Amino acid sequence: MNHFSWFGYFTHDLINHTNVHVVSAGFVVFLLILAILFANRKLRKVEERVIPDEKTTLVNIFEVATESLLRLVEGIMGPDGRKYFPLIGGIFIYIFLCNIMGLIPGFLPPTDNINTNLAISLTVFVYYNAMGIRAHGLVRYLRHFMGPILWLGPLVAVIELIGHCVRPVSLSLRLFGNITGDHLVLGIFTDLVPVLVPVIFLALGLFVSFIQAFVFSLLTIIYISLATAHEHEEPAG
Amino acid sequence: MKKFTLWFSTIFSSLFVAAMAFAQEHGAEAAGGSLDGNTKAALAIASGLAIAIAAFGGALGQGRAAFAALEGIARNPGAAGKVQTPMIIALALIESLVIYSLVIAFLLQGKI
Repeated sequence: MNHFSWFGYFTHDLINHTNVHVVSAGFVVFLLILAILFANRKLRKVEERVIPDEKTTLVNIFEVATESLLRLVEGIMGPDGRKYFPLIGGIFIYIFLCNIMGLIPGFLPPTDNINTNLAISLTVFVYYNAMGIRAHGLVRYLRHFMGPILWLGPLVAVIELIGHCVRPVSLSLRLFGNITGDHLVLGIFTDLVPVLVPVIFLALGLFVSFIQAFVFSLLTIIYISLATAHEHEEPAG
Repeated sequence: MKKFTLWFSTIFSSLFVAAMAFAQEHGAEAAGGSLDGNTKAALAIASGLAIAIAAFGGALGQGRAAFAALEGIARNPGAAGKVQTPMIIALALIESLVIYSLVIAFLLQGKI
């Protein structure tokens, strides 16, 4: 099936299927920055916003998203999860918008391509290791890889290392497979029955987009909390 | 001045990344027409079986997760909201294993 995209149409195939994911991702970031600028202008006028707006405004949407994400982060990590919140919130909104782009006709989701997903996953990987080293110090953080029993250390370290290195791969593959499969299914069923059935698959696509962004950010939170967990007491043997 | 620099560099770099996409060259994908007929048959059977077995196992696992969640809601309808979120997370994580197998099936099918 041909992948038509508005970017390719307007630039006469200068943006083809090899680089459309970069342009789409840049487009999502551009839209987000525009939205943030508009919302920020509104927020600057009032010093303290105690009463939210009545209707659904842009500021309201941002407030709802920020509040629910913050509740999620603090529910899992406790109150000092706040300092990790900017990355997690940004990841969620970015992945959600990237996935949603696949539902609009003529746009391809940038998360369709493993490169976009690997970019986010590797960022998360570097970030949680860096946060773990910052919380524990380098030697103690590496000591965690050896596991609880010292003489089984090397074996456990190998298993843990493999598990850790698989994490960004699994994060990106999960996102890639879900979004590609969803896009493919939508395309196939639209070719089969163009009339009413695509509505069901568009709704499924919306659901899957949200769930995948949610699962990605949830796993990010869990990895960060595992890396920075402070055990205050050793369990009695 | 510092804020302006921050905003400007953010917007500029995000647009710059999109413009850099034009500079990328990707090599043409090799045509798969040079494979043996038997190899093609094996690849086709493998990719079909991969997703079939994965979907079977995934459906069993997700069925058990949904069963446990629904039973919990049936016993305690007030806790429906608290049960639903972990159920969705469990379903997504089980489904991710099926998705790994789907990716392998795509890879195999692309080589035919």
